[in-house]
Amino acid sequence: MNVSVGDVVLPGDSCQEIATIGEKSKVILGPGLRKEVNGIFITKAGTLRKRAPNTFWVDNYQKRYIPSRGENVIGIVTQKAGDIFRVDVGGSCSASLSYLSFEGATKKNRPKVVIGDVVYAKMLVASKDMEPEIVCVDSHGKKGRLGVLEDGFVFKCSLNLIRKILNPECPLLNSLKNEWPFELAAGMNGRIWIKANTMRETIALGNAILASEYHSNDEIKSMCSNIASILAGHIS
Amino acid sequence: MVSENTDLKDFKLRPMKCECNYLSKSDGSAILSQGHTVSLVSVNGPLDVKMQSQSIEKATLEVLFSSKGGKPTVGDRYKEHVIRQTCETAILGSLYPRTGITVTIQELEDQGGFLACCINCSCLALLNAGLAMRHTFAAVSCAIDESGNIQLDPARDQLDTARANMTFVFDSREKSLVTGFTEGSYSEDAYSEAVERCRAASHLVFAFYKEIVSKYSNVIG
Amino acid sequence: MADIYKLIHPVKYFNDYISREVRPDGREFHEQRNIKLNVNSIKSADASAVVKCGNTTVVCGIKLELATPKAEEPDFGFVVTNIELPPLCSSKYRPGPPSDNAQVTSNLVSDIIINSKCIDLKDLCIASDKLAWVLYCDMVCMDNDGSLVDACLIALMASLKTLTLPTVTYDSETEEIAVDTSVRSKLNVHGLPVATSFAMNTQEQRNIILADPSSYEEDMCGGLGANLIICYNKGFICGSQKFGGSNLSTECERKAHKIAKERAQIVEEVINVCLKNYENDTNNQ
Repeated sequence: MNVSVGDVVLPGDSCQEIATIGEKSKVILGPGLRKEVNGIFITKAGTLRKRAPNTFWVDNYQKRYIPSRGENVIGIVTQKAGDIFRVDVGGSCSASLSYLSFEGATKKNRPKVVIGDVVYAKMLVASKDMEPEIVCVDSHGKKGRLGVLEDGFVFKCSLNLIRKILNPECPLLNSLKNEWPFELAAGMNGRIWIKANTMRETIALGNAILASEYHSNDEIKSMCSNIASILAGHIS
Repeated sequence: MVSENTDLKDFKLRPMKCECNYLSKSDGSAILSQGHTVSLVSVNGPLDVKMQSQSIEKATLEVLFSSKGGKPTVGDRYKEHVIRQTCETAILGSLYPRTGITVTIQELEDQGGFLACCINCSCLALLNAGLAMRHTFAAVSCAIDESGNIQLDPARDQLDTARANMTFVFDSREKSLVTGFTEGSYSEDAYSEAVERCRAASHLVFAFYKEIVSKYSNVIG
Repeated sequence: MADIYKLIHPVKYFNDYISREVRPDGREFHEQRNIKLNVNSIKSADASAVVKCGNTTVVCGIKLELATPKAEEPDFGFVVTNIELPPLCSSKYRPGPPSDNAQVTSNLVSDIIINSKCIDLKDLCIASDKLAWVLYCDMVCMDNDGSLVDACLIALMASLKTLTLPTVTYDSETEEIAVDTSVRSKLNVHGLPVATSFAMNTQEQRNIILADPSSYEEDMCGGLGANLIICYNKGFICGSQKFGGSNLSTECERKAHKIAKERAQIVEEVINVCLKNYENDTNNQ
């Protein structure tokens, strides 16, 4: 079945539109699209999207993380093996993190990381045939926002929810940050780390994020102010 | 994510109802009822698998079937085999080398056309898990009665009187036969006619898939 | 040279053969392997047969036992088929409990026997709800070189055709069983189901079916065992199973049916000739 941008697509559908553009200029095929001998085919179920000039992808529902280069993820250190740490990022195989890939780390000055720590890191190497490698520094050797996350609370959610709350158009985080102070790190692997001043606030924050998955922007706004007034004790 | 299709008038198959993401902890799941036949499928993967069953070329697909009684039988192994072969042609396993994908099927109610229901439910669960697939697949069952009439998507009582019953699985691209599974004896002509009838009816199943996916895509997107 | 090529480019090696319209073992696409059959070679079994289709070797033995019928089906006897795939037959199998493949093959064969209705289970009943025959049909594969179901079914049918049942008298009052092994009656076998396996491959948009595939061909066509099994009995199809492999076009399907039908006649002839020879031999002795 032939489909075009904006349609709901299923695996096996072909997209003539992309193939035609591809004949004249360069096209970037994102997740859910695949080039075969006789055309461009869909491999995932969802909505076909386009970003100018010629980037196409399928917005699909997914829970399981497949490592992909350059994404920020939240991982849990599971093992210390010589010079590297094994970090569980939720993929099919654990990622490796070298002890040298922390800000200011040298052979003498080892970073303080123990098993069970939560790290916010960037995917450096991610390929289907190799073990993924993550780092806690950028290319200038600065840590930026990466590194070990102290305290706080980690929970899992679907990959779509992460993309949704990180979308600049999503009002969730903007509304919540005006209500009470908190820290938040969202990993593209479907994990969110949050830290607020009190337990009540942390739970309220976590629930607000999970509840926003199936809500529209307006609903999210009203939900946020509702939660804030409950927290402030106006409504019980 | 609940969808109902109770429009019986122009529906040649029994009404289908489905809920995707029924289980919260698995990567993809679906519960599907076709008439009174109900099955539940959960998909997990790509996961780590033990060294000896790893394949360097493609994902290892594992299908587990548990019947209502709970006791594993030779027939269950056979169903697993049929479903695994069907899923294997559809999944682009080469994108996930050295990993494993597990499909677990639980029988909830068997009132005829159970294998077809399991296969359709597996397809929905795979779509829900977001695994890359070459095509979707739809299973349609039919029964041939003593006088040679073909009855699509038979219920339990129709199956009991039938001389043959068949289940066919078609892919969404060329609508060609992926899996065929027959019981009873019949002539070649009856067979070809049954395949054609089921092939035509598979459109309804594909349309149903699209409806389900569009319902939840709209909510998420 | 060819061996190295086969190791480095396994798929291309196979496809090169197919694109030249020939199979790796020199056969044509529709050609089947030679069948060798021998009946009653195991004297300790009530009936037996050894079959060789190319390299695939299967031994079948049938043992008779008496049992009480199931309460829900008091007039029916039992046919229990079991296929064993020991490590002897292929490096794919490990010792231990029956592998998935063995269970699937067992199920396929027993389905064919049930669906073809070649054995009327009522014939096996001696006294309703009291006594019935159980036919334990054990098949052991000695060498698995593809098309296992075909070979198993030939061995099983040849054994069933030679099977004779001793006369049993059952006294319903005293519940006494008397077995007279000197007077034997033949088991009624209706028709002769013959299965034909195919492996399917797609090349350059062309569907190809390979009749009676070897295990190498089955592996290359991406299936656990054959992709398509069609079973004919007295001109009617009594089972058509397709699993995995490339998708089947209508045209190929028609071709497969034609080949299967022709093969059914050939195999039937083989079995009948073998049985006739066997009968002549026993009469001469």
